[in-house]
Amino acid sequence: MPPHAPPHARPAANATFVDPARVDLLLAPFVKDPASRAFVVRCLLGEGPTHHRGSNFVLLSLLGQVLEKVGGAPEGALDAEHPVPLRLPPHLAREAGPQSYPLGLSGAALERLAPKGSRDHESMVDCLCDGPPQHALANAAMVDLLHAVLLRLEARGS
Amino acid sequence: MTEALPPGIDQAFTVAAAELGMCSAAWLYVREVSDARGPEGVEALRERLGRTFPVLDAVAAVWLEGAREPTARTEAVRAALAGATRVVLVGLEAHFLDPLLPLLPGVDFALLRHATFDVNWERVLANYDGRLRPLDFDTFQAWAGSRSVLLTFAYGVHGASTHVIPSWLRVTGEDVRTQFRSLIAWDVLGAPMWVYPRWLVEVPKSAFTQVVAA
Repeated sequence: MPPHAPPHARPAANATFVDPARVDLLLAPFVKDPASRAFVVRCLLGEGPTHHRGSNFVLLSLLGQVLEKVGGAPEGALDAEHPVPLRLPPHLAREAGPQSYPLGLSGAALERLAPKGSRDHESMVDCLCDGPPQHALANAAMVDLLHAVLLRLEARGS
Repeated sequence: MTEALPPGIDQAFTVAAAELGMCSAAWLYVREVSDARGPEGVEALRERLGRTFPVLDAVAAVWLEGAREPTARTEAVRAALAGATRVVLVGLEAHFLDPLLPLLPGVDFALLRHATFDVNWERVLANYDGRLRPLDFDTFQAWAGSRSVLLTFAYGVHGASTHVIPSWLRVTGEDVRTQFRSLIAWDVLGAPMWVYPRWLVEVPKSAFTQVVAA
Protein backbone atom coordinates (compact mmCIF):
# COMPACT_ATOMS: atom_id res chain seq x y z
CA MET A 1 0.00 0.00 0.00
CA PRO A 2 1.59 3.30 -1.02
CA PRO A 3 2.32 5.63 1.87
CA HIS A 4 0.02 8.55 2.25
CA ALA A 5 1.49 11.84 1.26
CA PRO A 6 2.09 13.94 4.35
CA PRO A 7 -0.05 17.04 4.68
CA HIS A 8 1.22 20.01 2.68
CA ALA A 9 3.62 17.79 0.75
CA ARG A 10 3.07 19.74 -2.44
CA PRO A 11 5.61 22.38 -3.28
CA ALA A 12 4.81 25.63 -1.54
CA ALA A 13 2.66 27.89 -3.63
CA ASN A 14 4.57 30.69 -5.21
CA ALA A 15 3.06 34.01 -6.05
CA THR A 16 5.36 35.30 -8.74
CA PHE A 17 2.29 36.41 -10.66
CA VAL A 18 1.46 39.05 -8.07
CA ASP A 19 1.65 42.51 -9.60
CA PRO A 20 1.44 45.19 -6.90
CA ALA A 21 1.26 48.01 -9.46
CA ARG A 22 -1.99 46.60 -10.81
CA VAL A 23 -3.66 46.55 -7.42
CA ASP A 24 -2.22 49.95 -6.58
CA LEU A 25 -3.97 51.36 -9.65
CA LEU A 26 -7.16 49.54 -8.76
CA LEU A 27 -7.25 51.03 -5.26
CA ALA A 28 -6.40 54.57 -6.32
CA PRO A 29 -10.04 55.77 -6.12
CA PHE A 30 -10.31 54.43 -2.59
CA VAL A 31 -6.99 55.52 -1.08
CA LYS A 32 -5.92 58.80 -2.63
CA ASP A 33 -2.53 59.27 -0.96
CA PRO A 34 0.13 57.22 -2.83
CA ALA A 35 2.22 56.45 0.26
CA SER A 36 -0.84 55.32 2.20
CA ARG A 37 -1.95 53.23 -0.76
CA ALA A 38 1.49 51.63 -0.98
CA PHE A 39 1.12 50.66 2.67
CA VAL A 40 -2.24 49.00 1.99
CA VAL A 41 -0.95 47.22 -1.11
CA ARG A 42 2.06 45.92 0.80
CA CYS A 43 -0.20 44.54 3.54
CA LEU A 44 -2.39 42.88 0.89
CA LEU A 45 0.29 41.48 -1.40
CA GLY A 46 3.64 41.73 0.31
CA GLU A 47 3.15 40.39 3.81
CA GLY A 48 1.90 37.18 5.35
CA PRO A 49 1.58 33.69 3.89
CA THR A 50 2.09 33.29 0.15
CA HIS A 51 -1.34 31.79 -0.45
CA HIS A 52 -2.94 34.91 1.05
CA ARG A 53 -0.88 37.20 -1.15
CA GLY A 54 -1.71 35.22 -4.26
CA SER A 55 -5.38 34.89 -3.42
CA ASN A 56 -5.71 38.57 -2.67
CA PHE A 57 -4.14 39.43 -5.99
CA VAL A 58 -6.36 37.09 -8.00
CA LEU A 59 -9.62 38.10 -6.34
CA LEU A 60 -8.91 41.82 -6.40
CA SER A 61 -7.70 41.72 -9.99
CA LEU A 62 -10.80 39.88 -11.17
CA LEU A 63 -13.04 42.29 -9.29
CA GLY A 64 -11.07 45.08 -10.88
CA GLN A 65 -11.84 43.64 -14.31
CA VAL A 66 -15.53 43.55 -13.49
CA LEU A 67 -15.40 47.16 -12.33
CA GLU A 68 -13.53 48.17 -15.45
CA LYS A 69 -16.14 46.53 -17.68
CA VAL A 70 -18.93 48.52 -16.06
CA GLY A 71 -17.07 51.81 -16.37
CA GLY A 72 -14.73 52.04 -13.40
CA ALA A 73 -15.30 53.48 -9.97
CA PRO A 74 -17.96 56.21 -10.15
CA GLU A 75 -17.93 59.48 -8.25
CA GLY A 76 -19.14 58.77 -4.76
CA ALA A 77 -17.72 55.28 -4.66
CA LEU A 78 -15.34 56.29 -1.91
CA ASP A 79 -17.15 55.51 1.30
CA ALA A 80 -14.71 54.61 4.04
CA GLU A 81 -17.33 54.75 6.75
CA HIS A 82 -15.86 51.94 8.78
CA PRO A 83 -12.11 52.16 9.38
CA VAL A 84 -10.19 48.90 9.33
CA PRO A 85 -8.58 48.85 12.76
CA LEU A 86 -4.84 48.54 13.12
CA ARG A 87 -4.76 46.32 16.15
CA LEU A 88 -2.19 46.86 18.87
CA PRO A 89 -1.69 45.05 22.15
CA PRO A 90 -4.40 46.31 24.55
CA HIS A 91 -2.14 48.30 26.86
CA LEU A 92 -0.59 50.07 23.89
CA ALA A 93 -3.92 50.64 22.18
CA ARG A 94 -5.10 52.48 25.29
CA GLU A 95 -1.99 54.65 25.18
CA ALA A 96 -1.93 55.24 21.44
CA GLY A 97 -5.67 55.62 20.87
CA PRO A 98 -7.54 53.98 18.02
CA GLN A 99 -5.39 53.37 14.95
CA SER A 100 -6.67 52.36 11.56
CA TYR A 101 -5.47 51.53 8.07
CA PRO A 102 -5.90 54.09 5.30
CA LEU A 103 -8.44 51.89 3.52
CA GLY A 104 -11.94 51.90 5.01
CA LEU A 105 -14.93 49.64 4.57
CA SER A 106 -17.99 50.91 2.73
CA GLY A 107 -20.96 51.19 5.07
CA ALA A 108 -23.32 51.86 2.15
CA ALA A 109 -22.45 48.46 0.69
CA LEU A 110 -23.42 46.71 3.89
CA GLU A 111 -26.66 48.70 4.10
CA ARG A 112 -27.76 46.62 1.14
CA LEU A 113 -27.77 43.67 3.51
CA ALA A 114 -28.69 45.13 6.88
CA PRO A 115 -29.85 48.59 7.99
CA LYS A 116 -27.22 50.94 9.28
CA GLY A 117 -27.02 50.82 13.06
CA SER A 118 -28.59 47.40 13.26
CA ARG A 119 -26.90 44.63 15.15
CA ASP A 120 -26.47 42.65 11.94
CA HIS A 121 -24.81 45.59 10.21
CA GLU A 122 -22.36 46.03 13.06
CA SER A 123 -21.70 42.29 13.15
CA MET A 124 -20.91 42.35 9.45
CA VAL A 125 -18.39 45.11 10.04
CA ASP A 126 -16.83 43.09 12.84
CA CYS A 127 -16.62 39.96 10.69
CA LEU A 128 -15.05 41.78 7.79
CA CYS A 129 -12.55 43.75 9.83
CA ASP A 130 -11.43 40.98 12.15
CA GLY A 131 -8.43 38.74 11.60
CA PRO A 132 -4.96 39.56 10.31
CA PRO A 133 -4.48 42.71 8.23
CA GLN A 134 -4.14 40.70 5.01
CA HIS A 135 -7.67 39.39 5.50
CA ALA A 136 -9.30 42.51 6.89
CA LEU A 137 -7.89 44.81 4.22
CA ALA A 138 -8.73 42.36 1.43
CA ASN A 139 -12.28 42.15 2.76
CA ALA A 140 -12.57 45.93 2.83
CA ALA A 141 -11.11 46.29 -0.65
CA MET A 142 -13.46 43.68 -2.10
CA VAL A 143 -16.52 45.21 -0.45
CA ASP A 144 -15.50 48.65 -1.73
CA LEU A 145 -15.01 47.32 -5.26
CA LEU A 146 -18.34 45.50 -5.17
CA HIS A 147 -19.99 48.67 -3.95
CA ALA A 148 -18.54 50.56 -6.90
CA VAL A 149 -19.72 47.87 -9.32
CA LEU A 150 -23.23 47.94 -7.87
CA LEU A 151 -23.37 51.73 -8.10
CA ARG A 152 -22.47 51.52 -11.79
CA LEU A 153 -25.03 48.83 -12.48
CA GLU A 154 -27.74 50.75 -10.64
CA ALA A 155 -26.94 53.89 -12.60
CA ARG A 156 -27.57 51.89 -15.74
CA GLY A 157 -30.87 50.65 -14.37
CA SER A 158 -29.63 47.08 -14.22
CA MET B 1 52.62 51.53 14.12
CA THR B 2 49.99 49.78 16.26
CA GLU B 3 51.99 50.62 19.38
CA ALA B 4 51.60 54.28 18.59
CA LEU B 5 47.87 54.18 19.31
CA PRO B 6 46.72 54.77 22.89
CA PRO B 7 46.20 51.55 24.84
CA GLY B 8 42.59 52.29 25.75
CA ILE B 9 41.46 53.03 22.23
CA ASP B 10 39.60 49.73 21.90
CA GLN B 11 37.43 50.43 24.91
CA ALA B 12 36.96 54.07 23.96
CA PHE B 13 35.85 53.14 20.47
CA THR B 14 33.39 50.60 21.86
CA VAL B 15 31.72 53.33 23.92
CA ALA B 16 31.68 55.70 20.94
CA ALA B 17 30.23 53.03 18.66
CA ALA B 18 27.54 52.29 21.21
CA GLU B 19 26.51 55.88 21.77
CA LEU B 20 27.07 57.43 18.34
CA GLY B 21 26.66 54.43 16.04
CA MET B 22 29.34 52.29 14.46
CA CYS B 23 29.70 54.33 11.28
CA SER B 24 29.58 57.72 13.00
CA ALA B 25 32.19 56.63 15.52
CA ALA B 26 34.31 55.15 12.76
CA TRP B 27 34.45 58.40 10.81
CA LEU B 28 35.18 60.34 14.00
CA TYR B 29 38.07 58.06 14.94
CA VAL B 30 39.49 57.85 11.44
CA ARG B 31 39.48 61.64 11.16
CA GLU B 32 41.06 62.16 14.58
CA VAL B 33 43.71 59.52 14.01
CA SER B 34 44.50 60.80 10.54
CA ASP B 35 44.82 64.36 11.84
CA ALA B 36 47.26 63.20 14.51
CA ARG B 37 49.16 60.46 12.75
CA GLY B 38 48.34 60.57 9.05
CA PRO B 39 47.62 57.58 6.82
CA GLU B 40 49.98 55.35 8.82
CA GLY B 41 47.84 56.02 11.87
CA VAL B 42 44.69 55.06 9.99
CA GLU B 43 46.41 51.87 8.80
CA ALA B 44 47.33 51.15 12.40
CA LEU B 45 43.79 51.83 13.59
CA ARG B 46 42.46 49.46 10.97
CA GLU B 47 44.99 46.83 11.95
CA ARG B 48 44.19 47.19 15.64
CA LEU B 49 40.38 47.45 15.60
CA GLY B 50 39.26 46.44 12.12
CA ARG B 51 38.63 42.78 12.84
CA THR B 52 36.47 43.61 15.84
CA PHE B 53 34.66 46.51 14.21
CA PRO B 54 34.09 45.77 10.52
CA VAL B 55 32.37 49.10 9.90
CA LEU B 56 35.45 50.90 11.20
CA ASP B 57 37.56 48.68 8.96
CA ALA B 58 35.47 49.63 5.93
CA VAL B 59 35.51 53.35 6.76
CA ALA B 60 39.29 53.24 7.19
CA ALA B 61 39.54 51.52 3.82
CA VAL B 62 37.54 54.18 1.99
CA TRP B 63 39.48 56.91 3.79
CA LEU B 64 42.75 55.35 2.65
CA GLU B 65 41.32 55.32 -0.88
CA GLY B 66 40.74 59.06 -0.66
CA ALA B 67 37.27 59.63 0.76
CA ARG B 68 37.20 62.28 3.47
CA GLU B 69 33.50 62.50 4.37
CA PRO B 70 30.66 60.00 4.54
CA THR B 71 27.83 60.38 2.07
CA ALA B 72 24.78 61.27 4.12
CA ARG B 73 21.96 61.48 1.51
CA THR B 74 19.90 63.34 4.07
CA GLU B 75 17.58 64.78 1.43
CA ALA B 76 16.81 61.33 0.07
CA VAL B 77 15.87 60.16 3.55
CA ARG B 78 13.76 63.23 4.07
CA ALA B 79 11.91 62.41 0.85
CA ALA B 80 11.44 58.81 1.97
CA LEU B 81 9.84 60.10 5.17
CA ALA B 82 7.45 62.47 3.40
CA GLY B 83 4.00 62.30 4.94
CA ALA B 84 5.19 60.48 8.04
CA THR B 85 4.29 61.87 11.43
CA ARG B 86 6.21 59.41 13.58
CA VAL B 87 9.53 57.69 13.09
CA VAL B 88 10.86 54.92 15.29
CA LEU B 89 14.62 54.59 15.00
CA VAL B 90 16.05 51.12 15.32
CA GLY B 91 19.67 51.92 15.95
CA LEU B 92 21.48 55.21 16.01
CA GLU B 93 23.96 56.93 13.74
CA ALA B 94 24.43 60.38 15.19
CA HIS B 95 26.46 61.83 12.34
CA PHE B 96 23.65 61.07 9.92
CA LEU B 97 20.68 61.64 12.17
CA ASP B 98 21.75 65.02 13.51
CA PRO B 99 21.34 66.92 10.21
CA LEU B 100 18.10 65.09 9.43
CA LEU B 101 16.18 66.08 12.55
CA PRO B 102 16.05 69.84 11.85
CA LEU B 103 14.72 69.10 8.36
CA LEU B 104 11.64 67.41 9.81
CA PRO B 105 10.37 69.69 12.58
CA GLY B 106 6.83 68.32 12.52
CA VAL B 107 7.83 64.70 12.80
CA ASP B 108 8.10 62.90 16.14
CA PHE B 109 11.15 60.70 16.54
CA ALA B 110 11.72 57.89 19.00
CA LEU B 111 14.65 55.61 19.63
CA LEU B 112 14.29 51.94 20.46
CA ARG B 113 16.43 51.20 23.49
CA HIS B 114 18.05 48.01 22.32
CA ALA B 115 21.61 47.57 21.19
CA THR B 116 24.36 45.04 20.78
CA PHE B 117 26.75 47.11 22.88
CA ASP B 118 26.31 48.45 26.36
CA VAL B 119 24.64 51.85 25.96
CA ASN B 120 24.07 54.59 28.48
CA TRP B 121 20.68 55.54 27.11
CA GLU B 122 20.28 58.47 29.45
CA ARG B 123 23.42 60.04 28.04
CA VAL B 124 22.46 59.26 24.44
CA LEU B 125 18.99 60.74 24.78
CA ALA B 126 20.32 63.79 26.62
CA ASN B 127 22.24 64.65 23.46
CA TYR B 128 18.93 65.18 21.71
CA ASP B 129 17.28 67.38 24.31
CA GLY B 130 13.90 65.69 24.14
CA ARG B 131 13.82 65.36 20.34
CA LEU B 132 14.17 61.58 20.63
CA ARG B 133 11.68 59.80 22.83
CA PRO B 134 12.73 56.51 24.40
CA LEU B 135 10.86 53.34 23.45
CA ASP B 136 11.33 49.74 24.48
CA PHE B 137 10.22 46.43 23.04
CA ASP B 138 7.04 46.45 25.07
CA THR B 139 6.08 49.99 24.08
CA PHE B 140 7.30 50.74 20.58
CA GLN B 141 4.12 49.52 18.91
CA ALA B 142 2.30 52.40 20.55
CA TRP B 143 3.94 54.43 17.81
CA ALA B 144 2.51 52.24 15.04
CA GLY B 145 0.11 53.69 12.52
CA SER B 146 -0.53 54.43 8.90
CA ARG B 147 1.79 57.44 9.02
CA SER B 148 4.46 55.79 11.13
CA VAL B 149 7.83 54.60 9.90
CA LEU B 150 10.43 52.18 11.19
CA LEU B 151 13.87 53.44 10.21
CA THR B 152 17.15 51.65 10.65
CA PHE B 153 20.68 52.16 9.44
CA ALA B 154 22.25 49.76 6.96
CA TYR B 155 25.91 49.07 6.37
CA GLY B 156 26.50 48.61 2.68
CA VAL B 157 24.38 47.04 0.00
CA HIS B 158 25.66 44.01 -1.87
CA GLY B 159 23.39 42.61 -4.54
CA ALA B 160 20.03 41.81 -3.02
CA SER B 161 21.20 42.04 0.58
CA THR B 162 22.30 44.53 3.17
CA HIS B 163 23.54 44.43 6.77
CA VAL B 164 21.73 45.93 9.73
CA ILE B 165 21.97 45.69 13.50
CA PRO B 166 20.29 42.60 15.03
CA SER B 167 17.67 44.75 16.78
CA TRP B 168 15.97 45.09 13.40
CA LEU B 169 15.21 41.37 13.34
CA ARG B 170 13.83 41.53 16.89
CA VAL B 171 11.49 44.35 15.90
CA THR B 172 10.11 43.43 12.52
CA GLY B 173 8.02 40.36 13.16
CA GLU B 174 5.06 39.58 10.93
CA ASP B 175 2.74 41.44 13.27
CA VAL B 176 4.78 44.62 13.30
CA ARG B 177 5.43 44.76 9.56
CA THR B 178 1.77 45.49 8.90
CA GLN B 179 1.56 48.12 11.62
CA PHE B 180 3.98 50.62 10.13
CA ARG B 181 3.53 52.40 6.83
CA SER B 182 7.15 52.07 5.79
CA LEU B 183 10.19 50.05 6.75
CA ILE B 184 13.22 52.03 5.66
CA ALA B 185 16.93 51.23 5.69
CA TRP B 186 19.38 54.10 5.34
CA ASP B 187 22.73 52.88 4.03
CA VAL B 188 25.26 55.00 5.86
CA LEU B 189 28.35 53.01 4.91
CA GLY B 190 28.05 52.71 1.14
CA ALA B 191 31.09 50.50 0.94
CA PRO B 192 31.92 46.80 1.17
CA MET B 193 33.10 45.26 4.40
CA TRP B 194 36.35 43.35 4.07
CA VAL B 195 36.14 41.33 7.26
CA TYR B 196 33.40 39.25 8.84
CA PRO B 197 30.50 41.63 9.54
CA ARG B 198 30.52 41.10 13.27
CA TRP B 199 27.64 42.61 15.27
CA LEU B 200 25.49 42.82 12.15
CA VAL B 201 22.98 40.58 10.41
CA GLU B 202 22.41 40.14 6.70
CA VAL B 203 18.87 40.77 5.51
CA PRO B 204 17.38 40.90 2.02
CA LYS B 205 16.70 44.36 0.65
CA SER B 206 13.17 43.17 0.03
CA ALA B 207 12.62 43.23 3.80
CA PHE B 208 12.37 47.01 3.47
CA THR B 209 9.89 49.16 1.65
CA GLN B 210 12.84 51.35 0.70
CA VAL B 211 16.61 51.24 0.98
CA VAL B 212 18.11 54.70 0.76
CA ALA B 213 21.44 54.23 -0.92
CA ALA B 214 24.61 55.90 0.28
